[in-house]
Amino acid sequence: MRTILLGPQRFTVRATSALRSLDTTGPLAVVNAGWEEREDDIAELDAALDHRMRGLRLYHRLTDVLTKDREFARAASRFRDRHDELTGLYRIRLDHAMTGLYAVQRQIPSHPARARHSAAFRALQDAMGGVRAIDEWYLAELELLYQELEVEGGVNTSEVVAWHRAEIRTLQNDCVAWVFPGGNIRTLTSVLRLFAVTVPPEVPVIAWSAGAMAMTERIAIFHDYGPQGARETELFDTGLGRVRQVVAFPHARRRLKMDEVDRLGLLALRFEPAECVLLDDGMVLDIGPDGILPAAARRVGADGLVRSGEESA
Amino acid sequence: MRRKLAINRLRERGDLSGELVTQFVDKYRSPIIEGQNATFLFRGDADEVFVRHRVVGLPDPLPMKQLAGTDLWAATCDLPAGSRVEYQLETRRGEHYERFNDPLNPRVAHSPMGSSSVCAGEGYHVPSWALPDPEARPGELTEHRIRSKALRRDQGMLIYTPARFNRVLRYPLLVVHDGPEYVQFAAMKTVLDNLIHRLDIAPMIVAFVPPGDRLREYPNYAPHARFMARELLPDLESRYPLMESPVSRCLMGSSFGGVASVSTAYRYPGVFGSLLIQSASLVFTDIGQDHGGGPYFDPVVKFVNRYRAKPTRFTDRMYMSCGIYEPLITPNRSMVSVFREAGITVKYEENRDGHNWDNWRDRLQSALTWLYPGPQKYVYE
Repeated sequence: MRTILLGPQRFTVRATSALRSLDTTGPLAVVNAGWEEREDDIAELDAALDHRMRGLRLYHRLTDVLTKDREFARAASRFRDRHDELTGLYRIRLDHAMTGLYAVQRQIPSHPARARHSAAFRALQDAMGGVRAIDEWYLAELELLYQELEVEGGVNTSEVVAWHRAEIRTLQNDCVAWVFPGGNIRTLTSVLRLFAVTVPPEVPVIAWSAGAMAMTERIAIFHDYGPQGARETELFDTGLGRVRQVVAFPHARRRLKMDEVDRLGLLALRFEPAECVLLDDGMVLDIGPDGILPAAARRVGADGLVRSGEESA
Repeated sequence: MRRKLAINRLRERGDLSGELVTQFVDKYRSPIIEGQNATFLFRGDADEVFVRHRVVGLPDPLPMKQLAGTDLWAATCDLPAGSRVEYQLETRRGEHYERFNDPLNPRVAHSPMGSSSVCAGEGYHVPSWALPDPEARPGELTEHRIRSKALRRDQGMLIYTPARFNRVLRYPLLVVHDGPEYVQFAAMKTVLDNLIHRLDIAPMIVAFVPPGDRLREYPNYAPHARFMARELLPDLESRYPLMESPVSRCLMGSSFGGVASVSTAYRYPGVFGSLLIQSASLVFTDIGQDHGGGPYFDPVVKFVNRYRAKPTRFTDRMYMSCGIYEPLITPNRSMVSVFREAGITVKYEENRDGHNWDNWRDRLQSALTWLYPGPQKYVYE
């Protein structure tokens, strides 16, 4: 199983060289549903992929299902309401837990030798357990919502969905690799679930930004520079899990406050044993069958500092 | 060393010729902003000249002084950074008073009551998201009219649908009191187009509803509330793909429109889960009935007094803003804690501005991104 995770492709295009490094010929299955209504604006992307693109048009298919299958549309609408409600509750719990965590963190002595043996340090570890429990609770509740959607929306019995799934299977059958560009991660994960998209393990994948997030086991969403200021990083969903023990942070320099090392340290601690990996412009992480991250990967440490394996070697 | 104000440097030169004054005025125009000071200028013959404004804390009228031997009048006042003040000038010639916009200041703000000159303090600028952006795909405004039994009239309105409106998707709803005024004087369509384009706010359906008899219908009037909750909302739900949860239904208004939003949500608890109120006229009394607002405020005071005596959680969340230069700042500040103690989640913001449309426009990003945040957090291109 080979997966190449890239940084954002808008300014520094690495997709072409990544594709050529696969040494393949033949069509590429491309999932750019995260672009939503711009899904068919593919000229630039197709050129970057040596004109081998075969778009699966999953966003287009999603809107087709919503239009033709009223039962599914109603269930999807209820799912959205329930998910919004769940997200609201998750945010309330998470914000309060993180506020407590930061307050405890401030009590830890600054001297490293004293810090490790302080009651505040042990309190921080315990409080972090609470945050992780909230994260796990959210993902478990989300899974229940997906199960409800599947039953209420007749996902596995819908003729429209079945027709699209069959067509997708045919389309991707002879593809030699898959490509997952960025976009809206909410839309991307929705279509991957609806159309039960699975990439055969032996087929290589190139993914960036939201696409890279979708390759991991757990997807975290974050934005410290939004109009309402910095908000806590939230777990959003589970991904395809091709890349294990990694939480991907695309556009990290543009979206995360990199100078707040205490906060970043807690982020790393929160997602342990997974590693928080930053995917900024120009980054190429070629992950082979062993699943080991290349040394070039820039990871956030428990001290809040960002290092690559190359730097620590 | 702190530099003397330009007007004082001119004054100290003595023997001011008309030509010198003209050079001065041409160079600086009006008002002159120097740090935390604003100096207003006027040239002409008059017995007295005043700056007229509604800034709580500054004298109104603010008298201008004539520079000896010239036709130049000036007045200087404090103007903290980030301030924005609307004003006019007033002259007295004998018994004749005349009020007008500052002829030396091209910057003007508009409202249903006419226009005013604008004095922008250091650091104030019109937000970029309030200016037309050719990159932003425009939404559409269409006229709509429904028959209202509650109001006993046909009620027209403008409906905003966002760019790329798609009936397969579902949208939150915003119902705006004084709707056409928000479009005309607070650039609200431009703001919506821009903020949606920037992914700052969710694409939404907006009903811009004009008032009928505003002073009767906005201060806690049962037929108005019935129209909003029992006629307009079902009508919009039947025509547009709207989200069903109460938090996805927001009432909005400024001044008396803020009272109309609060009183409507109060009369129909659980229907509108979000409120956006700006400089709401939530006037109350702690004892007696002497509120000083005149008869139009009587029903407001009665309503707010009753609510303060027995606060309830009639909505989930509320964005409130008020300018600190307007008289309504005290009641607004007071009501924040009352709403919060009732269990309503309140985001409250103050700013250095007055009771005017530009102020309400400038708060729209903060308000709308809090109530209906856009997909920014989900988008990783």
